[in-house]
Amino acid sequence: MDGLISAFGIDWRLLVIQGVNFAALLAGLTYFLYTPVMKLIDERRERVAEGVRSAAEADRKLADAKTTGEGIVGTAAREAEVLVATARSRADEKGNEILKAAEVRAAGVLAEAAVNAEEAKRKALAESSKEIARTAVLAAEKILREKSA
Amino acid sequence: MAVEEAVQHAGEAVEHAAPAIHVALAPEQIAALWGFPITNTLLTSWVVMLLLAVLTFYVRRNLSMIPGKFQTFIELLFGYVHDFIETTLENAVWARRMFPLLLTLFLFIATANLIEFTPGIGSILVHYGGETVPLLRSMNTDLNVTLALTVIAVLAIEIAGIVALGFWRYAGKFFNFSSPLNFVVGIIEFISELSRFVSFSFRLFGNIFAGEVLIAVVAFFVPYFLPVPLMAFELFVGVVQGAVFALLTLFFVKMAIMEPHGSH
Repeated sequence: MDGLISAFGIDWRLLVIQGVNFAALLAGLTYFLYTPVMKLIDERRERVAEGVRSAAEADRKLADAKTTGEGIVGTAAREAEVLVATARSRADEKGNEILKAAEVRAAGVLAEAAVNAEEAKRKALAESSKEIARTAVLAAEKILREKSA
Repeated sequence: MAVEEAVQHAGEAVEHAAPAIHVALAPEQIAALWGFPITNTLLTSWVVMLLLAVLTFYVRRNLSMIPGKFQTFIELLFGYVHDFIETTLENAVWARRMFPLLLTLFLFIATANLIEFTPGIGSILVHYGGETVPLLRSMNTDLNVTLALTVIAVLAIEIAGIVALGFWRYAGKFFNFSSPLNFVVGIIEFISELSRFVSFSFRLFGNIFAGEVLIAVVAFFVPYFLPVPLMAFELFVGVVQGAVFALLTLFFVKMAIMEPHGSH
């Protein structure tokens, strides 16, 4: 065994130095290289996950907004229809009212005209009978005068 | 022991047959500090650590939420490794715990193997203790390095098992007295657990060392052209060995933190 150890130059002091060497390298690389790089990788992974999450959130919000918008437009269209229908029926009502009022007035005017006409006729009759009487008197006077002359 | 003699004879045989090819199993000492030997592989491992420190500095300085090309590559690598660990362990907490160790094992071994053919490594010579030795030597051609990494990996595996299951339940995986069969299976498991010290360290050492020797031999007999594709292949092997070391650690951790058989 001693021969083997000396043939390979095994020396416990060298083993210790190499062990300490490696431990120092391990500690140094862990502290200065692995930890910062792995931290950076983790951070970036977290950020990417965050980005994906917020993109999904944005998509969801967009879809929500679309649904809401469509709902609003639909409601507005329905309301507009109702409004138009109401307006139309009201306009119809109003038109009828106006028509009726016009008819009533026309009837009024007609009746008045009829009354007026009756009055004018009566007056005319009365006047014509007066005229006839006067003419008859004049005619009688004339006849009397001729006879007396 | 027969193995020792064989190893020594093998070394001698190579040196006798072709004196120009220098093959040394053991790393060469190039300095001493407070009674501790400094070998050329230790110096190379410091160079590797420096390279990784530069990488860290560069990545840190340019780190931003919107990544550049290099940052994207780093994040892809880290993310892939982390997800792979998490898939294998089926546990996010354990994945976060094991991630630094496994990635560091891979980066350390792979980086060391990637620079093994850099001019200067093995070719700059220094004099120390009356011998002429290379200043830098590929890190994983030293069993001290691979054995130290193995000890850390195996300790991590056993500690993971104890933390996940508790000491007694984890020990019960290996010392099971419920039946003779379970007892034998437990002992076999225990031995296979111990054999990891050998398999982990020698797999990495053997692969890289053999690659170096192969390149040295080929460069000696057919210089200039043949070594190039072999070097490319050895770089590939080097990265694969880094991955294998980390992956095996991962799989053994998975086995260690799993509930013992028959407990449900």
